[in-house]
Amino acid sequence: MNEPAREPGCATPDRLATLVDAAIEARAGLRGRALGDTAASLGEAAARWAADARLREELPAAARLSAPVVAEAIRLSAAAVDTAAMLALIEHEFGAGAVERPAPDGPALVGHVLAANVPALALPAIALGCLVGGAVVVKSGRDDALSAPAFHRALEAVDPALAATVVTAYWPGGDRACEEAAFQRAAVVVASGTDETVTALAGRLGARLIANGERTSVAAVSREGLGRDEPLAERLALDIALHDQRGCLSPRAVYVEADGAPSPMAFAERLAAALEHVARELPPGPATVEERAAQQLLASEAEWEAGSRVLAGAGGLVVYDPRAAFRPIAGRRAIRVHPVATLAALPVVLPKRRVECVGLATSGPEAAALVPGLRSLGVARLCPIGRMQQPTLAWPRGQRLPLGSLRGRPDGGALEIET
Amino acid sequence: MSSVRSLEAELTAAITTHDALDFETWARRIFRHQFERNAPYRAFCERRGVRPETLARWDDVPAVPAAAFRRHDLACGPPEAVFRTSGTTAPETRGHHLVPHLALYRASALAAFERFVLPDDARLACLFLVPPPELLPDSSLARMCTWVGEAFGHGVEWFVGAGGLDLERLLDRLAGAERRGDAVLVGGVTSAFIQLFDICASRRHVFRLGPGSRVMDTGGAKGLLRPLSRAGFLRACWTTLGVAGYACVNEYGMTELCSQRYESVLRDRFDGRGLAPRRWLAPPWLRTRVLDPDTLEPTRAGDVGLLCHHDLANAGSVAVVLTEDLGRTIGDDGIEVMGRAAMAPPRGCGLLLAELGAA
Repeated sequence: MNEPAREPGCATPDRLATLVDAAIEARAGLRGRALGDTAASLGEAAARWAADARLREELPAAARLSAPVVAEAIRLSAAAVDTAAMLALIEHEFGAGAVERPAPDGPALVGHVLAANVPALALPAIALGCLVGGAVVVKSGRDDALSAPAFHRALEAVDPALAATVVTAYWPGGDRACEEAAFQRAAVVVASGTDETVTALAGRLGARLIANGERTSVAAVSREGLGRDEPLAERLALDIALHDQRGCLSPRAVYVEADGAPSPMAFAERLAAALEHVARELPPGPATVEERAAQQLLASEAEWEAGSRVLAGAGGLVVYDPRAAFRPIAGRRAIRVHPVATLAALPVVLPKRRVECVGLATSGPEAAALVPGLRSLGVARLCPIGRMQQPTLAWPRGQRLPLGSLRGRPDGGALEIET
Repeated sequence: MSSVRSLEAELTAAITTHDALDFETWARRIFRHQFERNAPYRAFCERRGVRPETLARWDDVPAVPAAAFRRHDLACGPPEAVFRTSGTTAPETRGHHLVPHLALYRASALAAFERFVLPDDARLACLFLVPPPELLPDSSLARMCTWVGEAFGHGVEWFVGAGGLDLERLLDRLAGAERRGDAVLVGGVTSAFIQLFDICASRRHVFRLGPGSRVMDTGGAKGLLRPLSRAGFLRACWTTLGVAGYACVNEYGMTELCSQRYESVLRDRFDGRGLAPRRWLAPPWLRTRVLDPDTLEPTRAGDVGLLCHHDLANAGSVAVVLTEDLGRTIGDDGIEVMGRAAMAPPRGCGLLLAELGAA
């Protein structure tokens, strides 16, 4: 039987299987290598990758993002794969002195299915796989088939032996033959994408799958946070604008305590102005008709809701919504501002297992008081507003330890708190 | 009150008797009627500076987003019936359409159905893969099917109960129709047809329904247990039921509208335009504009945009509804529905069966 026709540039099952076998064999040859050396190579490759002129030129069109937004995404992704941060992560998860030792026993092959919404997801995926001592096979997302091979090239230049343990490929989602060829030997496959995508993969990969379905993020501002002499609205606008708000760390709602100064409505106005301002530096990319329609309908619907107000501009859309209930919001660079009597209500109004990150502008004690409730909701990361899109490699996505989960350690309700 | 009756009764009569409708004149009359009697809509129009006396053209009548039906009672008088959108989301977030004059709704629904599904004046036994109105009294689809059965059917049978689609009874009924060579109308939600196709495939059942039989489905891809293209659906209608593609008509409707669009195939065949492209046609009292999502101005012909319906039969509520559906124009009389705005909540008749399952 003939193989089905494949798009140009797509992997073929036979080729994938050959590459994966070779990567596993190459990895066996590095069994004695100290993890610190692996981290150093990955860090150096990330820095080299960030300077890849071809990637900077081609990625904006592929990812449907503006060139300045892509440049920021590249900078942030490279910064996350920082040698010092990797060494700290290794010691944190594998114990003191672990950087001097080879990786503990782990998976021979780690598979990754990357989401299409955010570019450069390949870097942390490859780095984490290498740090648990496995060969790595990465399937790129539809809108960024460039970052992974570019990082592979950078790693090849820095450390050819480590690069030989990595396979990067692209095939359209649902190609069962490619999937089978790539992941047949994988002990674990991490998949990020829509709920529909990860559910379909769960049916095929079973317990080997670590599924990162659709998640969102919110911000929260207390009276104390509002009163600080800090450019809060501008920082939040940056969190919204990065990746054109497509990522799971992108805030889609901000809860503001009601009796502070400025008022939540005044904060909404500042935020709208800040979005305009940030759009001059980081202009939005081209929107699909579905996204443009969502933006229009969001504004149209808000007009019919008592007490709501729409603040629209070229930089985005801010909807002041007096109801506290979290409501999914579509559109690009669009956010709801909800007044609340107290942030202590957050664990009640937010949905369970849907919120990945909460950006905070609160006092330390206020943040500490929120931790148990947010942890039980499934929140995996707390950080200051303005840092929501800048996770380190230690981000316990879906409350799973980044290295431990690849080694089959049970979920531990991990929560990263960045101060 | 008498003037309310007269406007709606007059339009009902015009639709029923197939009188020529001057859309522009009716649109102006209905806008004035709604402006005077529908307080939330009036406030909305005034915010836009649009009043009956300042209206320049029919397409300047302000459009209400479908989402507004979730939040407000948008009616020009006490409702004779309230219809609710289907969906598996919380009931309070479901849209509700208050219909003060059911006779107008009935006249519109029947006239369009006859025009596009029964252009040959066929009178058929109706097998509905839809819950009966006793089970889902607020379903506009169930109500429409009831009217169709009463007006045009040689008997009506319902095959969806509280437990879902009664496949065994349906298979028996189809086998009986095949044996007798009866022509039947099988109408229902697309997802129910897929259940029928799947069980027929698993049991190797193939029916050849009598000549003149036809299929009317609605709801599209929403609520499907597995994806199925339109071409796949038509193929299954032929291979499973023996109903050719030209006798399979898809309906596009919304709870918020009293009029529906239908696929053109049967009407085109009847009119000798069998080679015309498949498209969704409307009766003369329903016009649809395709609007640019950024500007809400009409798109260029063939470009994709938001569908905005102007339904004169909605005289008792709001005539112009901006939907969450994306589509494009086809030719000078048709549209094609292409999808939904990003993250628009799932809704529609396709979810009727899922809703029964969730109850």
